[in-house]
Amino acid sequence: MSSTAIKVFTPSGHNLGFGGILWSEWVKLRSVRSTWWLYGMLVAVTVGLGALMSSSHGYDIAELEPEGVQALGVFATTVSTDFTALIVSVLAVLFMAGEYGLGMIGTTLTSVPKRMPALLGKALVFAVATFAVSTVAVVIAIPLSVAALSGTGIDIDLGDPFYWRAQLGVVVYLVLIGLMAFAIGAILRSTAGGIAVVLGILLAAPIAFGLLTLGSSQMWIQNLQSLLPTELGEVLFSHPGRWELIAPGAPMEPPPAGLWAFEPWQAGLLLLAWVIVLLAVAATLLKRRDVWHRPGRGGAVLPSVIIALASTLSRGQGVELFTDRSLTGKGVKIWRNRGEATVSSAEQS
Amino acid sequence: MIEAHTLTKRYGAKTAVDAISFTARPGLVTGFLGPNGAGKSTTMRMIVGLDRPSGGSVTVNGKPYAEHRAPRHQVGALLDAKAVHAGRSARNHLLAIAATHRIGTKRVDEVIGMTGLESVARKRVGGFSLGMGQRLGLAVALLGDPATLILDEPVNGLDPEGVAWVRVFLRSLAAEGRTVFLSSHLMSEMAQTADHIIVLGRGRVVADAPVGDILARAAGDTVRVRSPEVVRLTALLEAEGGAMTSAEPDLLSVSGLAARRIAELAAGAGIPVYELTPVAGSLEDAYMALTRSEVEYQTTQTRAEENR
Repeated sequence: MSSTAIKVFTPSGHNLGFGGILWSEWVKLRSVRSTWWLYGMLVAVTVGLGALMSSSHGYDIAELEPEGVQALGVFATTVSTDFTALIVSVLAVLFMAGEYGLGMIGTTLTSVPKRMPALLGKALVFAVATFAVSTVAVVIAIPLSVAALSGTGIDIDLGDPFYWRAQLGVVVYLVLIGLMAFAIGAILRSTAGGIAVVLGILLAAPIAFGLLTLGSSQMWIQNLQSLLPTELGEVLFSHPGRWELIAPGAPMEPPPAGLWAFEPWQAGLLLLAWVIVLLAVAATLLKRRDVWHRPGRGGAVLPSVIIALASTLSRGQGVELFTDRSLTGKGVKIWRNRGEATVSSAEQS
Repeated sequence: MIEAHTLTKRYGAKTAVDAISFTARPGLVTGFLGPNGAGKSTTMRMIVGLDRPSGGSVTVNGKPYAEHRAPRHQVGALLDAKAVHAGRSARNHLLAIAATHRIGTKRVDEVIGMTGLESVARKRVGGFSLGMGQRLGLAVALLGDPATLILDEPVNGLDPEGVAWVRVFLRSLAAEGRTVFLSSHLMSEMAQTADHIIVLGRGRVVADAPVGDILARAAGDTVRVRSPEVVRLTALLEAEGGAMTSAEPDLLSVSGLAARRIAELAAGAGIPVYELTPVAGSLEDAYMALTRSEVEYQTTQTRAEENR
């Protein structure tokens, strides 16, 4: 180079920081319409369906033990969770995989070139926002439900810790399912593929396992089924009086040896394990992959298989089998919940 | 300052960037030229760490990009103007990026003003034209008031007024001691904007020189000669070191000899000449010549490697 002095511009300003990354992700989350629509739907469905189920006059509680009544109260407010889990999952996939739609991810990762803080910050912002919104939804739904049930002559004991545990379970379930979907979105980098896979896990997988358990009474299949996020969720927000609600006065039997029956906290940890494993895969791939290297045809194969499977199952025979499965599923669950009920009634006496 | 050392990127068997080394210095506008698929964008993505090099290394302002504590203040990059979320407004897009480095709203509105986006700042980016998207991309690059700018085809889609503005603006940024590194396929544009040009062909650096040198190399290099005795003339000029191509039966394009020398030689040999025109080469010609030779070189090179 020449020896003439060259003026060199010296930049100034704040360093990149995790607080800034969190704020950035928050701006991103709140600045797209789908966030408001989907969170709005989450609250509306939780509150609306909760109130609707609570104001039904079809409940016959004459033969129910108090536990069963509490379980009915939990059922009325948590019945919407299967659906709100879908809403949260779709939002999670849109939030994460949406970065890949036009290539926003490139802008995101030039701001945060180490990549991991971007992924974690995004996941954290999504988790906190979903926690807050689902808490609001549940907090609005509970008094409405309690009042409506009381209007039909059903009084819920709000001093029952299991009632509150189940409500907290709903919030935890929605956050964890959301994070799972978020990780899937990050792995697949496609909103369509991500949503297909999430629907596969939340809708098609239970049906598939239902068919399997129908065709075979192998214990390991049932145990495997109990590890599905949807199954773990049901345990997470279940009330110990649930079996009493499903089969009033049924004699208690210990669950068959070798059949897994989880406590809600165990179910929560297992669901957390799903999230951690998937996020770890997402993180590894994000760290390794070139940002704009588009997924090839291989990326679309898995989602299409799942969509094909789900549509086949939900058509014709599938629906009938699904109905059958929910019956057998209940049979299994009565066993599972019985073990739990035995514990809780022992605690109460 | 951008320094690349034997930087390489392979996708499977295909080598997109083949062990290139170059330096883009502060205070200069460095142009990065090459036909489509030459590896310009891949190189730029590697500079900011979006693509991982298969070999070699590249640093910006002395460090690998990801090692900087304030990457947006070190480097402003415009790699893909569509790197946005279609549903977000331009201002929110900028606010989200600004947040990572705690850049205030004042600066966000400043870059919106600089790039002329005021009227559309609150509109969803999805509806932007190519030109507006390009302006937004520039606003993003400028957000951190960075020491180095890396711009992939920054004038692509801009109207003539926008092109002129970018040209003046980039020159002023370089004058402030910043490194400006931009790619373009518009050779004439590059001649007016860049101080230094790096030409890339087939993933290799084919030329790396001040813009004046590249233009000088192109200017007046060929002479068009029309004569009825092309065969004799060719033999004569070849003996004197000229290189000939022929487009028409009575027309020669001669390089390596000045017009005056050709005239003297023809007169000396008694060959009639109807037309003798020095052709002022354009940057395009120089560029075509450079990349064409690179293609040929590449082919023989590959063949040589296969024969090993």
